[in-house]
Amino acid sequence: MSEGHDDHGHGKQSFISKYIFSYDHKMIAKQYLTLVMFMAVVGGSLAMLVRLQLGWPGQHAQFWETLFPAGMAQGVMTPEFYVMLFTMHGTIMVFFVLSLGPVSGFGNFLIPLQVGARDMAFPFLNMMSFWTALPGAIIILISFFVEGGAAASGWTAYPPLSAIRSAIPGSAMGQTLWIVGMIFFIASFTMGGLNFVVTILNLRTKGLKMMRLPLTTWAQFLVGILGLLAFPALAAGSILLLFDRGLGTSFYLPAGIFIGDTLFPHSGGSPLLWQHLFWFLGHPEVYIIMLPALGFTSDIISTFTRRPIFGYRSMVYAIVAIAMLSFVVWGHHMFVSGMSPFLGTAFTMTTLCIAVPSAVKVFNWLATLWMAKIQFTTPMLFALGIVSLFVTGGLTGIFLGTNVVDIQLHDTYFVVAHFHFIMAGAGLFGLLAAVYYWFPKMFGRHMNETASKVHFWFTFIAYYGVFFPMHYLGIAGMMRRIYDPNTYDYLKPFQNVNTFISISAFILGLAQVIFLANYFWSMFKGKKVESENPWHANTLEWSTPIEPGHGNWPGEIPEVHRWPYDYQNPDEEGDHAPQWQPPAKVKAAK
Amino acid sequence: MAENIQANRDAKHGMALAVTLWAIVLVSVAFFFKYDLPELASNRQSQDTLYYVILGITGVAYVVVHFIFAFYIWKYRHRDDAEGSYWHDSHKLEVTWTIATAVILVPIVFAGLVIWEDVKAAPPEDVFTIEAVGAQFQWDMRYPGPDGEFGAWRPELYSLENYLGIDPDDAAGSDDLHLINQIVLPVDQPVRIMLRSKDVQHAFFLPNFRVKQDVMPGIETSVWFTPTKIGEYEIACAELCGLGHYRMRAFLSIRSQADYDTWLTEQSQAD
Repeated sequence: MSEGHDDHGHGKQSFISKYIFSYDHKMIAKQYLTLVMFMAVVGGSLAMLVRLQLGWPGQHAQFWETLFPAGMAQGVMTPEFYVMLFTMHGTIMVFFVLSLGPVSGFGNFLIPLQVGARDMAFPFLNMMSFWTALPGAIIILISFFVEGGAAASGWTAYPPLSAIRSAIPGSAMGQTLWIVGMIFFIASFTMGGLNFVVTILNLRTKGLKMMRLPLTTWAQFLVGILGLLAFPALAAGSILLLFDRGLGTSFYLPAGIFIGDTLFPHSGGSPLLWQHLFWFLGHPEVYIIMLPALGFTSDIISTFTRRPIFGYRSMVYAIVAIAMLSFVVWGHHMFVSGMSPFLGTAFTMTTLCIAVPSAVKVFNWLATLWMAKIQFTTPMLFALGIVSLFVTGGLTGIFLGTNVVDIQLHDTYFVVAHFHFIMAGAGLFGLLAAVYYWFPKMFGRHMNETASKVHFWFTFIAYYGVFFPMHYLGIAGMMRRIYDPNTYDYLKPFQNVNTFISISAFILGLAQVIFLANYFWSMFKGKKVESENPWHANTLEWSTPIEPGHGNWPGEIPEVHRWPYDYQNPDEEGDHAPQWQPPAKVKAAK
Repeated sequence: MAENIQANRDAKHGMALAVTLWAIVLVSVAFFFKYDLPELASNRQSQDTLYYVILGITGVAYVVVHFIFAFYIWKYRHRDDAEGSYWHDSHKLEVTWTIATAVILVPIVFAGLVIWEDVKAAPPEDVFTIEAVGAQFQWDMRYPGPDGEFGAWRPELYSLENYLGIDPDDAAGSDDLHLINQIVLPVDQPVRIMLRSKDVQHAFFLPNFRVKQDVMPGIETSVWFTPTKIGEYEIACAELCGLGHYRMRAFLSIRSQADYDTWLTEQSQAD
């Protein structure tokens, strides 16, 4: 039951092969999560500085000059610095936190455990995937220290701003490093995606049909496919951008661009091409971030309601539908770009289709809660939080998906509010819920319960405090990415809203310190887990020893006899029947 | 382990969560009565109407779903003697709420399509055309002058003096009127604004007129609308265009026909 550190025939491993160039999917997952937490601290701190400026625009505080002698000379933030802050906040959070965490981190950890495999299909590729992501992250971090600073053309990197060096200071070396870092990231993510898809298709244990997979693994399966199909578009697009920057090509640059006192020699390109390529990735990317969180939510809600997930089959169909639709909606990011109005019509129709499977998911969660016996553990609280954020952010999507209404709200804080609920909110809460839920399996210890609860309450309330009022700012017409809204007379009355948001943001930021401290403290000092299945859950990962070795199961891989949500099954004793438990009564074969 | 599960069963967090959710919904909805779109000053009333329709529909959905959600959290917080349920599938329910959602969305989509077609339709015959050129970080406006035609321009002629690259040999340009960061228009007269950029992407945003259009180098875009309210308004840039993006601000003045004519005469005399 508990021969914790069994190497299952791999012999004694050196420190390097165990902790650094590890092939073990569980160790690789932990490496990813460590990287993610570091990147989250960087990305989160950038957001805090953004809110410092918006909450108290142009305020003078000499203290900041010692920290950022150029960006905050005389203690006042410069506009160049501000533009860099939100650009890198978006880039780091979207790619290096919310993609690497729930997908590369928890996908790696959970897929072999939930499908009953000894490791990923291609362990070497898996190791390479991490060792490609890491240099990508390092390159992104180094870009803060080059001349001109890090990239400053938004996380969307629209040319010509991102293509012409003199367009903005960050478009010098910083933008080049941004592109190179992204290419590393994409290579890493593609290797991961391949592993996900192949492992789930080929390495499922005996009896584990696709329609018996936990919804978490279903989500990771679709995420693998989305990544494989969508990211190459951005890779190609980024390389073309690199050519435009360095080799004098004109993929994105038309004739007649005049910056400074220079007429650029390009001709024939179109900045719209980048928008198409970027959003062809960009929209599936949103679901790459969200789907794992929705999978975690379903599994966690089922475990802690002690109820089977309602409508399992329709949940699977819903995420398959969402994944497929995500490839035909990218144009809703471009309603006011000047593309053909006919495309605006088409993309409105496809976009609003997504509301249907999304609503189905919400109704199924509600039905799961009906007659539940809810246990309010921390992962459950976060999973319930996701449902609320998903509802809020999903509904505001209807405004933005409707092209006519989008005209006014496009590129305003309404959009910022929307995606921080639906994508960033679900992603962040999903990551946190997953950490709290699977921490006992990852480290054989529990996280401190009081600190976890405090963390939840501050995070949830502050999250609404930060992002809900942004809807009001967007409705009032406040644009995104502006350094000082008070430049405009019509935005002056809303400074108090901005200040409120900033205070909430600082509370939200501080609450994450509690989490990080709890995480690292519990890893070494947390209460030891006493059974391999502390939550009395049903999925296969809970059949492994308390601290599974490389190979996951000391003996044979268990056979799967049932679906993953057998709670309250009247044919079984006790309130749950795990997937590896054979049926109590073999029902008369009809 | 048992005591850990026991501690987790503690239902007070569930009750607190239910109350918190209700409170969030109450407060967040209340503020929608305080914060509204900027005052409308153009003929694009239909865009606002659809906005309010969607606000109403999604508002109801937001309140109802959160209410039920919080109610279940409250009601089914764990009690040891509680009865469980294995019920986990209902084809009828799934079909019902799938179709119900679709039925609510269809009118939104179709209303959107009709209004979109209006907004994107060709302007009326009597439309008055001006030009706005975005550049880091100002808006250069051009009026065609009495001859109704703009002078030719060529990028090769761009310089710090000839900011718009105007061809000095083109007679049509001799009476053109140039303004920086300022437009003056007569009320109730449909206007079309031709948009282009000299450098990076910008977006021409008139918050009070429900107009927003990206402005791109290499692609000429345009918007048209009819101002319906006399007053002084602001023009903003809504697409990140560089470090001065936040101050790429301009002014739009809507005047009565008589005031506009007076202004126009003054301008041509000043030339």
